[in-house]
Amino acid sequence: MIECTKVKRMLSRYLDKEIGGEDSVMIEAHLANCTQCSKELSELTRLKGIVSGVTRITLPQDYLVSRIRDSIMRTRCEERVFSLSDIGNFARKLIPLPIGILVASIVFLVFISVQPASKNSLEDHIFSGSNATTEMALELILGSQN
Amino acid sequence: MDEDILYIEQFLGGDEKGFEMLVRKYQDRVLNIVHSLIGKDGESEDIAQEVFLKVYNNLRTFKGHSQFSTWLYRIVVNAVYGFTRGRGKMVNDEDAINNSATTYKGPRDNLIVKEREALLHKALENVPINFKTALIFKDIEGLSYIEISKILCCSIGTVESRIYRARQFLKGELLKAGGEAV
Repeated sequence: MIECTKVKRMLSRYLDKEIGGEDSVMIEAHLANCTQCSKELSELTRLKGIVSGVTRITLPQDYLVSRIRDSIMRTRCEERVFSLSDIGNFARKLIPLPIGILVASIVFLVFISVQPASKNSLEDHIFSGSNATTEMALELILGSQN
Repeated sequence: MDEDILYIEQFLGGDEKGFEMLVRKYQDRVLNIVHSLIGKDGESEDIAQEVFLKVYNNLRTFKGHSQFSTWLYRIVVNAVYGFTRGRGKMVNDEDAINNSATTYKGPRDNLIVKEREALLHKALENVPINFKTALIFKDIEGLSYIEISKILCCSIGTVESRIYRARQFLKGELLKAGGEAV
């Protein structure tokens, strides 16, 4: 007669009706004479009943469809916003450039306008007997514009 | 032609109603598998949603070599395994008893049933996930060993072994919990 250990190992498969006809006949013959293996089978049957008898969960028909639709729309919207914000980010990066140029221009103009125009420096230089520089000439011209 | 294939073709042709039909058809099956594996209603719904979003984004890659349900259940398994890798502990009694949008069928909607099922979920929590997955596909979904082997990408012998071991684990856990022992 087939050993109990071997039968017990096959009982789960037997219970699931996943066993060949020959093995099935052999197990049934063993079960008819073995109370221990029969008890094991009834325990497994009960266990299977507990698991398969668990209450089925049901969702409202369109509950998940609606959630998925929302999620897909949100993703699409975020992708659009993201691509727009990319343009925004690029524009924001460009903002300091004109501002910098403008500030530098203002600083330059202020600097020029507050510079004391030493109208006499060229003359002083000429009188001192040394050669006049371009800077001195420029200074004289700008000074004369003020 | 298979109903699922018609829905898929409808979707791939640009009509999203095809996808929605697939969701309506499979949402409860997916949710019940996920719920049996992780035991949390709210998070089960999130995972089920994640599964269908993956289906939506990848349906073009479905070649039809297997049944759509096999392909779908593979995504379910991957999503659940991903979730369990991210979380150590999966279920507790309160979470198993609480529910969100889920409703329970039939006249068994009472506290005793919920408590008993919470006990089962608690016991299932301690069954290794790959054993439990095979068991759930067998006992909850009623799939054959060959179908389970296709979903889990393993041999029929492995499926048999996992189900056998899952039952041994579960029996031990239920006896340990002192609840309705088998």
